[in-house]
Amino acid sequence: MSTQQPNRLSRRDFLRWSGATAAVLAVAACAPSTPAPQSGADAGAAPSAEKIVLRMQVNPEQEKPVVDMYRAINPNVDFEFVSVTGIDHEEVAAKILTLVASGQALDLGYAATEATQLYAGQKLAAPIDEWVKRDAAELQEYFADVHPSLIQAMMWEGSLYQLPIDFNAANMYYNVAVLQEAGVEAPKTDWTKDDFYNIAKAATKKNASGATETYGYAWTNRLWGGWMPWIFVNDSNLLVEEEAPGGEWLWGQFYADDPAAQGRGGGWRWTAPKANDPANVEALEFLVQLHEEGITPAIELGGGDTLQGFFTTGKLAMTPAGGFWAGGLNNAGMPNGSFDVQLMPKWKNQRHQFGTAGQWIFADGKNKDAAWDYMKFRISKDAMMANGMFNPVTLTTPTRRSMLTAERFAETGPANWQVFYATLDDHPDTAPIPAPPVSNPMTATFVAYTSRAMNGEMTPQAALDGMQKDLEDLYARTPNMYTRSS
Amino acid sequence: MQSTTTPFAPPRRSAGAATGDYLRYRLGRWLVLLATACFAVIVVAPFAWTVSTSMRLPMESFSVPPQWIVLNPDWSNYARVFERIPFFRQILNSFIVTIAVVIGQLFTASLAGYAFARLEFPGRNLLFWLIMATMMIPLQATIIPVFVIISRLGLANTLWALIIPALPTAFGAFLMRQYFLGVPKDFEEAAVIDGANQLQIFGRVYLPLVTPALAVLAMLVFNGTWNDFFRPLIFINDPYLFTIPLGLNDLKGYMATGSISVVLAGVTMSLIPVVIVYIFGQRYLIEGIMMGGVKG
Amino acid sequence: MSSTATTNQGAHKSPNPFSWLTENTLHGMARRKALLGYLFLAPTILGILIFTAGPVIFSFVLSLFRWNVFSPPEWIGAVNYTRMFTDSRALTGFWNSFVFVLFAVALQVALGLLLAMILQTRMPMWLRYTYRTSFLLPMLMSGAATAIVLGYMLHKEFGAVNYYLGLLGIPQIPWLTQPGWAMVSVIMSYLWLATGFTMILFIGGLNNISAEILDAADVDGAQGLTRFWHITLPLVSPTLLFAAVTGVIGGLQVFDLPYIMTRGGPGDSTRTAVMVMYESAFKNMEIGYGSTIAVVLFLIILAVTAGQFGLSKRWVFYQ
Repeated sequence: MSTQQPNRLSRRDFLRWSGATAAVLAVAACAPSTPAPQSGADAGAAPSAEKIVLRMQVNPEQEKPVVDMYRAINPNVDFEFVSVTGIDHEEVAAKILTLVASGQALDLGYAATEATQLYAGQKLAAPIDEWVKRDAAELQEYFADVHPSLIQAMMWEGSLYQLPIDFNAANMYYNVAVLQEAGVEAPKTDWTKDDFYNIAKAATKKNASGATETYGYAWTNRLWGGWMPWIFVNDSNLLVEEEAPGGEWLWGQFYADDPAAQGRGGGWRWTAPKANDPANVEALEFLVQLHEEGITPAIELGGGDTLQGFFTTGKLAMTPAGGFWAGGLNNAGMPNGSFDVQLMPKWKNQRHQFGTAGQWIFADGKNKDAAWDYMKFRISKDAMMANGMFNPVTLTTPTRRSMLTAERFAETGPANWQVFYATLDDHPDTAPIPAPPVSNPMTATFVAYTSRAMNGEMTPQAALDGMQKDLEDLYARTPNMYTRSS
Repeated sequence: MQSTTTPFAPPRRSAGAATGDYLRYRLGRWLVLLATACFAVIVVAPFAWTVSTSMRLPMESFSVPPQWIVLNPDWSNYARVFERIPFFRQILNSFIVTIAVVIGQLFTASLAGYAFARLEFPGRNLLFWLIMATMMIPLQATIIPVFVIISRLGLANTLWALIIPALPTAFGAFLMRQYFLGVPKDFEEAAVIDGANQLQIFGRVYLPLVTPALAVLAMLVFNGTWNDFFRPLIFINDPYLFTIPLGLNDLKGYMATGSISVVLAGVTMSLIPVVIVYIFGQRYLIEGIMMGGVKG
Repeated sequence: MSSTATTNQGAHKSPNPFSWLTENTLHGMARRKALLGYLFLAPTILGILIFTAGPVIFSFVLSLFRWNVFSPPEWIGAVNYTRMFTDSRALTGFWNSFVFVLFAVALQVALGLLLAMILQTRMPMWLRYTYRTSFLLPMLMSGAATAIVLGYMLHKEFGAVNYYLGLLGIPQIPWLTQPGWAMVSVIMSYLWLATGFTMILFIGGLNNISAEILDAADVDGAQGLTRFWHITLPLVSPTLLFAAVTGVIGGLQVFDLPYIMTRGGPGDSTRTAVMVMYESAFKNMEIGYGSTIAVVLFLIILAVTAGQFGLSKRWVFYQ
């Protein structure tokens, strides 16, 4: 889930844009020569000699300010926007694949952790190592501003595929008024699973007939931010995780002085399922217990809009979400100060799960150099500040540490916004959700068996045994996921 | 509806039925009407809920008990819809596509239905069953090849992509055939004796007799096309070419960070044009059914 | 059909190269009808060849391959088919489709007929109009919007439905979160959407019952259930067949309702065959396997429909 915003709508008049773009062009033409970045596209040819059209999967409304800025200095590049929307990451990926299958090639995509290895593993995405090395000097500032965990999540078998733009770790949002009414203190950074249980229990209110009116904790059934955060704090994972070899070129070049980057490899490998690991069974049993005690409502699939509804109407005390929730709660009319955020509680550890997203280059694209040039521009601080994802309202967490400021969250909250980056800084073992190249069918299996345990159809042990078996079948059907055949 | 066609006929008082029977009949009738009224309220309730929730602050949208009457309507949800999607443009797209498909399908379906019902030619049954068989092909099964064809024709990401593949209709042909079959053959024989040619028999004799079928088909196609989600989802990328169901889907926002009230405001507005069409269309449809002179 | 003109045989008017067609004999008429038949069918057949039949043949071929879109397709013969018959999720999908269609279509037809018959009884014009409009109204809502709206209303804890049931003393029903209830919810939502149209079909069917037959029934004194079974039902049987056939075909393809409302869950309890197909082909990129499910679904629909038509000879009565 995380971060990609394939569906955020607000789009305005395209015709108006073309007018605006033309105006920008006119200004650009008269302006004194702008220091254009060294662009791969115009190496060899004079700029503006030939029109290049980049087909790009974006949210047009959010991308517009960035594109305007880019075109002001690169008038020879035109853009064709492909707005791919979907109710979840699997659906967005499905549509991208349909486009590819029908020969509608793109130049630039936008993908989150859920799909990074899917595209890289299928060689649909091009590694960007050579460009990164070539433009190292320009990129130094970016990498210095972005936590290595996020970078590593964008690697596959030693190569880098994306430059992360936004991320979301699952932190704990709480409704201030609900906790006050229950007479419990807001959670502290070092709170534990037992603290969590006590707060959730205290915040739960039941009516005379025993039905719950205010729930202590709720979550939606999905890969990112479902019950995965509890697997992580219980020192486990859904799949066996390993670090791929390689990546020294990157860490040595950009993170030589960063202790958080020490010993990192060339991306994650999720080599085998371990769904029925005792720690996972324990975590699921805990969540089933919360449901049986009436602390958690019945778990629904999908969206999260009902969760947001409960939370904003004071019917829910706590729920796991990332920085994207701040803007959503603000849009829903929840004032700053009525909610706040804290790290996940410590169980065996306090390791968080996150998802991150950024652009990727289609390996079959005709204008890969130009695509890279735009991708590089898009992660510049000016471009990111202008991006509709972060401006005017923060709809997801920017990957640049320097963009997470008090000013950014002054209007919307949360007050404890530092938690978003502290999740990475204070817990460098925080890692991406497990998302191998087969993440789509894996997610379907994960979600289906989770709901069976949550609605009492199966015991947690039986559900996770079933999940394990299905995932083993899936892995058996797709051998050699992590071999890099040429 | 004329009482002569009533399937429940009242006991004939003139036939000397006991007064008790008649009273029981009256009572039963009122009970049925009352139960029907309750049922109608339940059927309409989701609309009322949609409209009333669309006028509530997002923070109040989950209030229990549900507030059916909004005392302080908050119209900002409606303004939000226009900020987020090019609403009028998407409604216009829906109309263009829907009307084109309705007209096109009425044309192809009445021709094909007539051919199957009333024209004899070698291979008719085989062709009929082949076409019937294609009616059973799930749309999802053909979407990739169709998308390839659409792309080759240069129609991807245009409204034509939603119109052209929707024009041939096995279902419409089947529907029209059933209705044409219901028209007695005597009509044709009488027309032949009057010297009408085959085209005239179709256009002047049979077609007017199946007006109800045309109305039913038009209504169904309008409905299906207006609400189609899957095809535009795959064929159209440009939000400026979206039809309204896709626009509404966009309103939900990713991770559902869009608020329920805004989504429902969009749903409400998107219903207005259909309701208008429907208010007029329904009359036409029912009148068409009433006028259809297809009687044994 | 020969395009060359044949010699003018039986024409008694001016010589005409098309006389084989225009001649005023039974043969000429038959030829004209045949030609007209092909002409009338041309747009439909051409369109279906290009946009349905061709693509489905392509799907048949694809079902024999393993293809993930990126790499070239790999011929694997019947492996996808053998896999399908051991894939519990696919089999569950077919079972769910069966359950859904069985209940949804039976109730849709029964309820549609009942409402149509009620609307045919004597009542004030405005009331008839109000009822009819109310029952048809849901037709205007898209499957996607219905799934959203009814999904909110059926929410276990805070939905309007459970609130009012609670007033009647009924405990909260887990509409969307328990397998059996989730199927009930999807079927109910489908009925909400689809019954209005079925009702209209039956209004048309009932209206076409000839007055003489009904009058004759009146004279014979046929009342109540007898009248329904022996007069009304046989006379609307063509409509019944039509509603059942299109209901089964449409019901087996229902996608957006469960897709948006329950996402096939909880577990796989509302995952229909079409959803399994879509997920396999598009989400999991097993185009070949998805095509296999599509092909099997197609064959099932074909068999069921042929069966319906076959059986219909025994009970459908054309006036």
